[in-house]
Amino acid sequence: MKVSFPYMGCVTGYKKILEMLGHEVIMPQKPTQKTIDLGVKYSPEFICFPFKVMMGTYIEAVQRGAEVIISSGGHGPCRAGLYGEVHEKILKHMGYDVQVIIFDSIFRDFGTFYTHLKKVRNGASLIKLIKDIRFAFQIICRMDEIEKKIKILRAYELNRGDFNRAWVEIQKLYDKCWTQQDLEKASKIAHQMINDIPIRKVKDDERIRVGIVGEIYVIMESSVNMNIEQNLNNMGVEVENVQYISDWVKHNTRGFFGSSKAEQMIGKARRFVKMNCGGHDMENIGWMVDFKERGFDAVIHLMPFGCLPELITQSAIPTISKELKLPILSLSLDEQMGTANNQTRIEAFIDLVRNLKSAPKTEVKEIEDEVWNAKLLKQELAG
Amino acid sequence: MRVGLPRALIYHYYYPLWKNLFEQFDVQVVISDITSKELIQKGIKVTVPEICLPIKAFNGHVINLLSKNVDYIFIPRFVGIESKKWFCPKFIGLPELVGYSIDGVKDKMLTIDIHGNREDTCLLENYRPLCNVFNITEKELKKALKKASAYWQEFKQYCMKGFTIEESMQILNGEQMVSNTHPEITLGLLGYVYNIYDPFVSMDIIKRLRQMDVKVITFEMMHEKDIANVFSKKSKSIYWTFSNKIYGAAKVLMNDPEVDGFIHVTAFGCGPDSIIGKLMELDSDKFRKPFMTLRVDEHTGESHLQTRIEAFVDMIKRKKFAEQRRELA
Repeated sequence: MKVSFPYMGCVTGYKKILEMLGHEVIMPQKPTQKTIDLGVKYSPEFICFPFKVMMGTYIEAVQRGAEVIISSGGHGPCRAGLYGEVHEKILKHMGYDVQVIIFDSIFRDFGTFYTHLKKVRNGASLIKLIKDIRFAFQIICRMDEIEKKIKILRAYELNRGDFNRAWVEIQKLYDKCWTQQDLEKASKIAHQMINDIPIRKVKDDERIRVGIVGEIYVIMESSVNMNIEQNLNNMGVEVENVQYISDWVKHNTRGFFGSSKAEQMIGKARRFVKMNCGGHDMENIGWMVDFKERGFDAVIHLMPFGCLPELITQSAIPTISKELKLPILSLSLDEQMGTANNQTRIEAFIDLVRNLKSAPKTEVKEIEDEVWNAKLLKQELAG
Repeated sequence: MRVGLPRALIYHYYYPLWKNLFEQFDVQVVISDITSKELIQKGIKVTVPEICLPIKAFNGHVINLLSKNVDYIFIPRFVGIESKKWFCPKFIGLPELVGYSIDGVKDKMLTIDIHGNREDTCLLENYRPLCNVFNITEKELKKALKKASAYWQEFKQYCMKGFTIEESMQILNGEQMVSNTHPEITLGLLGYVYNIYDPFVSMDIIKRLRQMDVKVITFEMMHEKDIANVFSKKSKSIYWTFSNKIYGAAKVLMNDPEVDGFIHVTAFGCGPDSIIGKLMELDSDKFRKPFMTLRVDEHTGESHLQTRIEAFVDMIKRKKFAEQRRELA
């Protein structure tokens, strides 16, 4: 079968597993402006941004010959659980003969899961399948580990672009891995490559660390979030992203492996919200608390326009920011890809964070705040 | 004791139930004013900008209630009333959305979590927190819930006879209803109760349609079983309760030769509607039935709505009469 999948996070891993099962992989392209335009044209107007990008990716893949698209599903209440059904309907309506296979939770509906698995495994034995999945998962974990490291060190690179060039090489390296030995060797070389890149030394108390939280697709995919991590790194800021495919897989198979990091985060969010609303909203609030506890300087919250669960987070952000005394910037992203607006806002935000860090510690009095508010109210009433 | 009910969101569906329930405990039920431009503007000021209109309206109603000297404002958290089905995330996070947006509402909020698989929500666990607030025993609550549930079921019976929610309420209060004159065409009006029955949001669309001799069918006029039966077991269902009802209603009506067309009323920024809207649009194409989406927001201008429904109704009438003439000839 000619198989394709959405472009999200560490695509090398998905490619590997499908190739090992003997499928021909139509590699999805990194979303471009053209992909997004194509997706927007055929998607419902008010659907979330990730749906539109995926729509564009699928159309491009189908035009290049994909017969089957594989993606993950969900059971609500977030809209992402219905993506697959709507995508398939739209593609069929456009006249493309394509099948969208959605893997839902194995615990909810084992029957459907198994029939899908049978189609995808291509006659391979169950043991080979499990072995392949394990191997691909290992690749993803290793690559995520390196990516995490890059996002921290890239802030201090001496020659702009060194890390990105290395990352391209590393991806190729992992793409060629077929056995455990290959993988060990590749990892060793990759870490060596990263460590060899010259960086400038910074004192510990001068480091600025920013956490990125938000909807999984937009924080993971650099082409739809206007390359925010690179941008922050260019400003000399370390970045930690909260979502990686490896973590997501671990969370969704926690039935096998025990509790996940996400569950801890949900526990931390309890003081602000009572219930998870479907996406990663509660987890994200937990991460904000976690970042504060670990001494991060600021948090940037990204969401697609009109994202249902993240809107709940967004409403709580002013209160959270005040109570945690942590600067939080919330940005909502959509198909309007002009960079100037977000670039300006991020620069201003980082400037403020930097000043806050270097300024002598002063206690801001709440009373001043109240006096100021009363004054403002008076002015407003006076018109 | 005075308890405020915001006249927004799911209020339109459960008002008879809650009113009956609260009044059994000698609680005075205070309802916020009918939605107006000023009321919505107040809501918009405090709510995150990109959220849907119904939530902005809800916050406006809560602010309105704060000025009415109430002891509590009833803001239930709707999680689910069917197994494996949910409400839109904004309903699940409603207490947070309101609490973090409006100053001084937190200590007045009366919140209960609604779970379970009963449409009338009348499970004892759901309403147990009320015991402490109203100073009643669990036994009294149980009895009251039973009574309120029966009252609500009666209300639903009237809905299924083809009366709108407003009319059903009037019948419950003992008023007589004259059934309307001979309609020329029948339209399926698809949309959530908080869009269709809010006279400000939908600009009284039912009344307008009836004036054009249109018979209107909405999802609450149909039987639960009919709606549930149209979905095949294999396909993945829409996992929001009310979206599923509307999509199911649309599917039933598509197969009904008496229905001549559909109007989908949706609010700007509605998440679930972005999905079922597209699905219904694709289906209507398959069944060759006219379909129109009316997207409403806080901008008030009746003429565009009037023009669009007039044009839509005129086209359907013309098509229908032409077909009838052809049959006669």
